[in-house]
Amino acid sequence: MADSPARTGSPPLETTETERPSLWVVRPLATAAKQFAKSLWRPSTIVYPFERLEDPKFRSAVGVESGRPIGVGEIWDNYRGVHALNIQTCISCNLCAFSCPDVCIEMVTVPGGDPKHPKKCPEIDYGKCSFCGFCSDACPEGCLTMTTRYELSVHKRADMVYSPQKMYEVFQSKLPMNPIRVARPENEDAIRLDPPLCIGCFACSRDCPTNCITMVDIPKATPKPGEKPAKRIWKEPVINDSDCVRCGTCISVCPKDCLFWGSRE
Amino acid sequence: MWINMGPQHPMTHGLWNLRVRVEGEVIRDVEPEMGFLHRGIEKISENRHYNEVITLMDRCCYVAGMSWEQLFIQASEQALKVTPPARAEYLRVLSAELQRIASHLMWYAAFVQDLGLMTPFLYGMRDRDLVLDLFQSYTGARMTYEYMRVGGVRNDAPHGFTDQCRKVLDWLLARFVEYDQLCLGSTIFRKRCDDLGVLKAPEAVAYGVTGPMLRSAGVRRDLRKDRPYSVYDQVEFDVPVTDTADVTGRYLVRMEEMRQSVRICRQCLDWLDRNPGPVLADHLPRWLGAPYAPVGREAYLLKRNYPTGLGFSMVEEPHGEAGAYVVNDGGEHPYRVKFRSPVLINIWAAKRYLPGYRIADIPPIMGSVDVCVGECDR
Repeated sequence: MADSPARTGSPPLETTETERPSLWVVRPLATAAKQFAKSLWRPSTIVYPFERLEDPKFRSAVGVESGRPIGVGEIWDNYRGVHALNIQTCISCNLCAFSCPDVCIEMVTVPGGDPKHPKKCPEIDYGKCSFCGFCSDACPEGCLTMTTRYELSVHKRADMVYSPQKMYEVFQSKLPMNPIRVARPENEDAIRLDPPLCIGCFACSRDCPTNCITMVDIPKATPKPGEKPAKRIWKEPVINDSDCVRCGTCISVCPKDCLFWGSRE
Repeated sequence: MWINMGPQHPMTHGLWNLRVRVEGEVIRDVEPEMGFLHRGIEKISENRHYNEVITLMDRCCYVAGMSWEQLFIQASEQALKVTPPARAEYLRVLSAELQRIASHLMWYAAFVQDLGLMTPFLYGMRDRDLVLDLFQSYTGARMTYEYMRVGGVRNDAPHGFTDQCRKVLDWLLARFVEYDQLCLGSTIFRKRCDDLGVLKAPEAVAYGVTGPMLRSAGVRRDLRKDRPYSVYDQVEFDVPVTDTADVTGRYLVRMEEMRQSVRICRQCLDWLDRNPGPVLADHLPRWLGAPYAPVGREAYLLKRNYPTGLGFSMVEEPHGEAGAYVVNDGGEHPYRVKFRSPVLINIWAAKRYLPGYRIADIPPIMGSVDVCVGECDR
């Protein structure tokens, strides 16, 4: 069972009964006193509401040497705080809402789209949000990012819901943006079509947020003798893989389930 | 007479109840009561994508989130037949070892406060903050990291991270000496903790106790050595043991484990400096590789034959040996997830190591167990 059990770490202290009890207290106190003296001109804490780690003055001065937290420069910028949304570049692909594990993102209509295709942007309920960052990782356009803002207390629960406009204000406040690049697999799956099932309904190309689906003509199938010619539109979608953001909108709107994820040949 | 210690008691470090039968001052029997923090994480996992379960893992054990992420991800990768690249494995080991340091520092702070010492508590929390800053620098969060993904990790370490990390490790090594001066150097501490809460090796093994509690009883058992997972067979480190099986022994084992973790971290950092590369597997099924959830219907699942399989992994977590069992039935969500919590078992062995001591000994003894109820109740 125990192969050569031996004490490790610091050598055991010899506790002798003859030792003066006053020493019991004095020895550790000497260590503490040393730290206390150090802390007089180099405190380990910051005075929070008046000093903030993200302040530029801490960016250079704070570090391991001083015993203070390391929140320096770009390292602090990685923080996952309140989201910033650039409404202008949002393509309404729904990926943030799909990726949210807590289902706290709802896509709401914002002005700017045409009546047929209303523009939808994420609205985040911070009462549910766990700040996992999946939504900003998923955003193909980089318009939903997480900022260093972390103060979220509000008076009413309704104020916890951040509308797209409110997140756009965060974006305009020019907070440092998260510079972390998320690793993505080089060989991502792409959308594939099962041609016999397609009825050429245009739903995919209509709803594609990047307009990467074009409907092309296909030859009409010759009906078998005795059969009526099939009533359908002789078109099928062709997907431009380089423009595709892999949001899957086409898959979810396809009435015949003829689109699916497949590996790129 | 039965006394309830908990669920609201400074000794418990969370929500659980220790029922103690006493005769005068002496403990005769104990009965731990668990389940106050049950959140049904195993069940919720069945309704989430594999990557989304990671958000739960961080909340499973809030002082050792990285270890639990690694645990679940390893089991999932086994079930899904995915192999992560080497750089991701080293980043995972680095994260897990930094997490071990952070968790043990948290334990140190809480444990000495159970003894009534305030100064070491502040030291422990201050130095843990440096490790949390490191975590923040490359994961973006201080406690709930969501760093690991099936097939790799979320992102590579940022530029300059390794140098910063080395600085922190050097700083910490100097601090560990000070901890020992404060605690081991104090005769009062030794008189309080020596021969307290003794759990000898045969009983510890019989109860399934793992982690520092087992090693303090002289059993040289560490999954990182005995059943190496990830890249632990590539790094050098020692497994500390003591033969005292008491509270002091657990203190010594954890202190030495932190030093060994620093050693592992340095080797990982050297390797990461030398070997750039991808941190996510090349080709993954769409709904695994992407950091976001897929869109799809049953139909597209039926069209493709996704691999099915079982995954089981065990990880030497800061508290002990944690296990995860994942059943993949070919769907987007795991069919069943089961976790083995080391702390639950370490607490249940209290029937063995508490009776015979006095009521005032309960906080130091239970403090030395390093209780984290989050993973216990799940």
